[in-house]
Amino acid sequence: MTDAAKTNQHRRRFLKGTAAGLAGFAMAPGLMGRAMAQSPAIENIHNVAAAKAKELAGDKTVSLTIMQPSGSLGNVKPVGDAFQEATGIEIKYLEVPLGEINQKVLLEAVSKSGSFDIALPATFGIPDLAESGILVNLDNYALTYEPEGFQDGSLYNIGDYYKGSFYGYQTDGDTYVMFYNKPWLDDETEQKGFADKHGYPLKVPDTWEQLDQMMAWFHRPDDNMYGGALYRTQFFIAWEWWGRFHAKGHYPLSDDLEPQINNEAGVQALEELIAATAHLYPGAKTNGLFENFEAYGEGNKFANIGWGGTQKYLNSDKSDMKGKTAYGLMPGGMQGDTLLRTPYFNWGWNYVVSSVSPEPEIAYLFTLYACSPVMSTIAVRDPGGYFDPFREVHYSDPEIEQTYTPEFLATHKVSMRNSIPDLYLKGQGEYFDELRVNLAAADSGTKTAKEALDDTARSWERITRRMGKRSQEVQWRFLKSIYPADVRDKLS
Amino acid sequence: MADQVAPHSAEIDSPKAHKGLIPFNVALVLPAQLTVLGVVLVPTLIVIWLAMTDWQPTQAVPWYDAQPVWYWNFYDLWWDDRFINAVIRTFAVVAIAITVELALALGLALLFLDEWPWRKIAVSLIILPMMIIPVDAANAFFMLFNDRGPVNDLISMVIGEPYTFSWLSDPTWAMFPILLCEIWQWTPLMFLMVLTGLMSLPQNQVRAAVLLGATPVRIFFRIMLPLLTPVIGVALLIRAIETFKIFDPVYIMTRGQPGGATETISMYMYNGAFVYFRMGYIASAALIVLVLVISVCLALSRPLKRHS
Repeated sequence: MTDAAKTNQHRRRFLKGTAAGLAGFAMAPGLMGRAMAQSPAIENIHNVAAAKAKELAGDKTVSLTIMQPSGSLGNVKPVGDAFQEATGIEIKYLEVPLGEINQKVLLEAVSKSGSFDIALPATFGIPDLAESGILVNLDNYALTYEPEGFQDGSLYNIGDYYKGSFYGYQTDGDTYVMFYNKPWLDDETEQKGFADKHGYPLKVPDTWEQLDQMMAWFHRPDDNMYGGALYRTQFFIAWEWWGRFHAKGHYPLSDDLEPQINNEAGVQALEELIAATAHLYPGAKTNGLFENFEAYGEGNKFANIGWGGTQKYLNSDKSDMKGKTAYGLMPGGMQGDTLLRTPYFNWGWNYVVSSVSPEPEIAYLFTLYACSPVMSTIAVRDPGGYFDPFREVHYSDPEIEQTYTPEFLATHKVSMRNSIPDLYLKGQGEYFDELRVNLAAADSGTKTAKEALDDTARSWERITRRMGKRSQEVQWRFLKSIYPADVRDKLS
Repeated sequence: MADQVAPHSAEIDSPKAHKGLIPFNVALVLPAQLTVLGVVLVPTLIVIWLAMTDWQPTQAVPWYDAQPVWYWNFYDLWWDDRFINAVIRTFAVVAIAITVELALALGLALLFLDEWPWRKIAVSLIILPMMIIPVDAANAFFMLFNDRGPVNDLISMVIGEPYTFSWLSDPTWAMFPILLCEIWQWTPLMFLMVLTGLMSLPQNQVRAAVLLGATPVRIFFRIMLPLLTPVIGVALLIRAIETFKIFDPVYIMTRGQPGGATETISMYMYNGAFVYFRMGYIASAALIVLVLVISVCLALSRPLKRHS
């Protein structure tokens, strides 16, 4: 079989998997559970992968080095130890700062030092890494070793592919989920007052407009009550706008890669985001990830946005919000009479294989082993790590349920299934850096919303030209084709 | 055979023997010149080449095989608001920082010109900041100006109510702590240079002016300051070049945020070169900045030439 034929076969496999997943999303939960029941081959794949790795290693002394982001050792090491025990292949760990891992992997494309065999870069960086040549295209290995339906059990795998080829398994369910102060939502006085003012009940909001109105309603700084703890630091601000913009029914780029972010919907989304800033707590513009957890955990803010990691903190004894949180998908927008939901997968980590590794096949087998249902459940269970559920089986594991709560997991699972992707194009970092800087400038008042988005659009045009318009168009069309079907039909 | 071809030893030793090839004096300095040329010229030529490409080391293409884009990097830079703003902002930082440093340094130097008790200890204390590692100094200012830091605590005590202003996330004020850190750390250097200059001024003219009844202010502005001009010029030149490269406080305190409001040229180039690996583009930016810096330095050094 030629490489092109294999790639096409792999693409078909991916699309089939996506279709199966989305069909499952549309089914009733009970039916979905049955539809997603795993075949024995998938259930046992970790043993098969370990046995094959052991066979390939033979009498050689083989070791694999995993470069992982700081703080994830709790998730990675139990799996590595189990693999080592099963195969005799030594697993070494190389921890690098969380925000620098994609740079470190990119640098390996230059230095080719062979310092790692497997890495865990952030998912949004896969296109740049693939283009640099440092990642092994795993199409052939996956066709050889991956059992039929293996990827169907993974709730979000859009980021595993670039231009139709497979580069690594997703290992963290980083979809954005909303958190709400349940006692405030359930307060009868608040419910009556809000309903009298706005004409609809106080409940988990469906749209951004409702969320903004609820944050405004609860924002009473004199009483030490704040509307929300949503992020307004430069690094995080673009993600909320991305959700608000998509909920208005638009793709960020047209088919021929003209930026659409500065259209009327984009400007309106940004103006609404800026208006919402007035109803956030004072630390919103300075606090990062962990300060956000702590601030929301104080229990005096209505809404927050975050990931499974946020829930782990909120469900711990350190938080006053334990047992007092309601959950929701990221709000959507009304398209006529229809509600358009655009949950958003904005981070995630993928197991990838270095092209400099002397043992790429064994390295691939480790990634298959680590992302197998049994081993990935062990990884996600770690209460100190930050890998969140991402496979169907994780949601029924008692330990994982205890860590996250069944209520959160129910929302998280739906969000994962229907998440829109990040801008998985070559140069994603540059596109988003321009967006972040300009959004932050607009939020801080140094630019108007229109100016900020126009400046971003101009920068995006330059980035696209530099990256090669034709090449970017190929990936953009591919990416659009794998947006969740429910969302895809409603975006223009 | 060897005897027939070997020249006479006297011919080898004589400078005249090299006449027509390389003059002896040139031959002596040639190795050093070639080394310097290699060290300066070769990287410069590489930078000029890179500036005409869009080379990224992560694209698995060696730099010498990079596809030329000719003038496009310069064209993009011309339309790159962040680059233009970073250059303007950096010049503003240089102008403000060295002006304040000079004013403070002159004042302090005049104070320390005469002998007084504990003077030496006071000088040692004043020059202490410049001995601190810049990253540590920046970190200290980051903590001072945190919204829950000592500066806000102090203001809260003075005004009698909680004050939680976010200095580092306000686009108007975020540059203030950065400038303050830079000025705090490097005024001592300016002070040392100015003090040394003041101490070495010829005293005859000053004494004559005192005898003739000139006021201290008049003596300072009419005699001391003109004589001090070359020293001030050199001090300003050194500090301008150094301040133009300001990086540590920006990186530690804001990383150019919010919305690029504190992005200086070094921060901009760091992001371009070491976060996004756009070596070709940043090489073009570096060339533009080099030309600008040389122009400014030449302008600043003109008074020195006139004086000499």
